[in-house]
Amino acid sequence: MSDSSIVAVGNAGTHGLTQSRSSVALTSMAWSTGNFVGGLAILFALWWLAIYVAALNPALSQFANFGPVPAFKAIGHMWEKGVISKALGTSGYRLGAGLLIAISIGVPIGILIGRSRRFRELSNSPFQLMRMISPLSWEPIAVIVFAGWEQAIIFLIAVASVWPVMFSTAAGLSKVDPAWFKVARNLGARPWHVVTEIIIPAIAFDVLTGIRLALGVAWIVLVPAEFLGVTSGIGYTIEDARESLEYENLMAMLLVIGAVGYVLDTACMALIKRYSWHR
Amino acid sequence: MSNAAVGATVVPAAGATRSRTSRAAEQTARGVLNFSLGILILFGLWWLGGNFIASNPKTASFAGFGLIPTLQAFPELWNLGKLQNAAAASGIRLGSGMLLAIAIGVPLGILMGRSKRFRDLSNSPFQLLRMVSPLSWMPLAVLVFATWDGSIVFLVAIASVWPVIFATAAGLAKVDPAWFKVARNLGARPLQMLTQIIMPAISFDILTGIRLALGVAWVVLVPAELLGVTSGLGYAIKDARETLSYDQLTAMVLTIGVIGYALDTICALLIKRFSWHRGDA
Repeated sequence: MSDSSIVAVGNAGTHGLTQSRSSVALTSMAWSTGNFVGGLAILFALWWLAIYVAALNPALSQFANFGPVPAFKAIGHMWEKGVISKALGTSGYRLGAGLLIAISIGVPIGILIGRSRRFRELSNSPFQLMRMISPLSWEPIAVIVFAGWEQAIIFLIAVASVWPVMFSTAAGLSKVDPAWFKVARNLGARPWHVVTEIIIPAIAFDVLTGIRLALGVAWIVLVPAEFLGVTSGIGYTIEDARESLEYENLMAMLLVIGAVGYVLDTACMALIKRYSWHR
Repeated sequence: MSNAAVGATVVPAAGATRSRTSRAAEQTARGVLNFSLGILILFGLWWLGGNFIASNPKTASFAGFGLIPTLQAFPELWNLGKLQNAAAASGIRLGSGMLLAIAIGVPLGILMGRSKRFRDLSNSPFQLLRMVSPLSWMPLAVLVFATWDGSIVFLVAIASVWPVIFATAAGLAKVDPAWFKVARNLGARPLQMLTQIIMPAISFDILTGIRLALGVAWVVLVPAELLGVTSGLGYAIKDARETLSYDQLTAMVLTIGVIGYALDTICALLIKRFSWHRGDA
């Protein structure tokens, strides 16, 4: 009797608790969705208002096409014509290839910096100097060294994004408890095992943080790199819209670039959260 | 007797301070040595690469990229005033852009840190705007601003405002709420709250944001100057390429790296100076 009542009360209690917890989670999700949509709605409203007010002035009436309504219409047209998907496809390929090169160079060098004191001390000044060379200033050299513009752009993205990957890999490794290496050695781990069993799992979080930073820089470098020479990609599409005075297409591309960047950044952040073992 | 004992305890203390200062000196010497050796290795590799290019008849026309021609181009660039003019023009654009970014970013960051409502609502539009690659504003900037100079300053500002905003907001979020309570109880006005509590507490974070912003601004400045203007570091590179003076081209690239390194180091030193976060790093 008393047993069953305790169980019943306990059950009711935990049941009520889980229910209220899931409803709390639900409200907070609804709340954040509301904020997300509300924030964007405010942004678009301000944008619409600014263009509306500017276009009231007859001297600025050509700015009417800069508003959100023509921009959204232009997104529809450009999507139907395949302009957006093609631009994103070529730019995505360049971005992906550049980032892949940056990761495959940056992670091993970062591990070397983190593991060897000698290398860290000697490489600091040359790497800092090269890091602060603005990526686009390599452009004239890249164009001479590489046969095509395509490779030159990939090189520019790689040279811009290798530094965040390298430095956050090294920083991640320096946070790893040295005891782990000792334990692994005592358990008979080969150098190869140390890399795959200790180093990589321990620094996956930091490497991903570096990749997120690298993506941010690569996204900045990609557009000006595509202004020059090539006739495809998001940068070229912007340049093209400007030259043909199709301002609604220009604003549409700005929106697309912002939205795609936002999605990529959010995807990186979700991956970072997934691989985080720090608490 | 007891005096002697005191003396005995003083001696090792003196010894300890001496060894501490000598250790600090040793560390500085080691740092300087590593710095110079690192740069020397970089230049050595560059020299080897330059020799390799010059020795191959197919690529001999690009010998200007080598270390020796590049270093020889510096006195010439300096005497012509090209180096100083380019650095000054770029410096003014960078400085005004960063100043604008700080003047807009810090208040917005404080607002984000203090008002939950503003933080919740501003997140999605700010993230969207942040991820619009700065140079894609260029066509718009050129239409809105009368001069190229104005649009470059705008591009630098719009690129560097985001790190300042988010670092300021993150810094404010870390401030112990009890401080605000104490200040209020002691009768602090909103203005005093700002100058006595908020600003000293977050100066470290603002500087961290400014350092990040400087990095981004430096990335944006050069491509912005590749288009339209006829002054600045970006233009100097383009000009050197068009006149095929490769030695001047690499000299300007090296200059960009050195100036950027110097600015970044100054920011890092300022951050260290204003840091009150002991222990936690």
